[in-house]
Amino acid sequence: MTLHIVSKSPYSSSALTDCASSCAEGDAIVLIEDAVYGAVETYPEITERAPVYCLQSDAEARGIVIGKNVEGIDETRWVTLCTEHNPIVSWFK
Amino acid sequence: MKFTLVIYGAPHASEGAATALRFARALLEAGHTLYRVFFYADGIHNGSALAAPPQDEQDLLGQWQQLQQAHQLDLVVCIAAAQRRGLLSESEATRLEKPAANLAEGFELAGLGQLAEATAASDRIVTFGG
Amino acid sequence: MSKNTLALCRQAPYGNALAREGLEAILAAAAMDQAPAVLFLGDGVFQLAGQKPEAIAEKNLRRNIQALPMFDVETLHVCKSSLLQRGIMPEALQVPGADIELVEDCGSFIRKFDHVLSF
Repeated sequence: MTLHIVSKSPYSSSALTDCASSCAEGDAIVLIEDAVYGAVETYPEITERAPVYCLQSDAEARGIVIGKNVEGIDETRWVTLCTEHNPIVSWFK
Repeated sequence: MKFTLVIYGAPHASEGAATALRFARALLEAGHTLYRVFFYADGIHNGSALAAPPQDEQDLLGQWQQLQQAHQLDLVVCIAAAQRRGLLSESEATRLEKPAANLAEGFELAGLGQLAEATAASDRIVTFGG
Repeated sequence: MSKNTLALCRQAPYGNALAREGLEAILAAAAMDQAPAVLFLGDGVFQLAGQKPEAIAEKNLRRNIQALPMFDVETLHVCKSSLLQRGIMPEALQVPGADIELVEDCGSFIRKFDHVLSF
């Protein structure tokens, strides 16, 4: 099962939508850097197929409050998610 | 687990390289192995010895070098991407007849074969974009 | 140990160096007998369309694409919905010596690999 890492704002890039349409059942998504703007409560659900995580430090840096369907994680947990999934795909444009 | 990180982001330009540093520290603290860090595209600028950020900003070069020393990391800068963008070792500067070299200590220039080799040898590859 | 690797190409050809540098990385791996599978997705599908980069004094990226089959990358996978979204007819994509294979479900396709290198 794939771990998708998204790093661009959903308002400026197709990274998140491309990721969502390339997401299979059981995959997981991690929002980092500017992609955390997609982690707020008011942002529409990204996908039903995969749990969505958000890097807490990047959200905090930007004053983002993470919505209830998204789980905040630290870098250690991110590494663990990488060990639990394969392959790992980065969406950065 | 053996990780290789691939970095495309230039330091102090986008967050990617700084994120990769945080990720690298976290994986090493968790007891995993960092097999190689491969700097490619604009990521090659991380290997510039001439970066001089203001004192109240994070010193990404210094942090990579510290981590390299502490864990004997293999920090590889793609030679083709580096030549295009003006990052040269002493020997490359001499060979190409350029006036100066600027590859930082702790980093080495090597070919794209090192990325392919790391892909074969690692359990996980994580890419950090620009 | 041999790993099953996918190169995921998402950049349009000339606006960003990563389109070219991605293809160079693929060719380098292939030259070491580690040819990855290749999937063009999003703006990456524009790499396969007709180009005339002399107009901006750039080297033609098509040459790198056309070298792929010579290095054992004989099948070029292309995201079908990315093509349709951009109004490109699949028949318009021609690479001598290569088979173009449209992928409908990119999620299922991607998860078959051990590693994905994104470009």
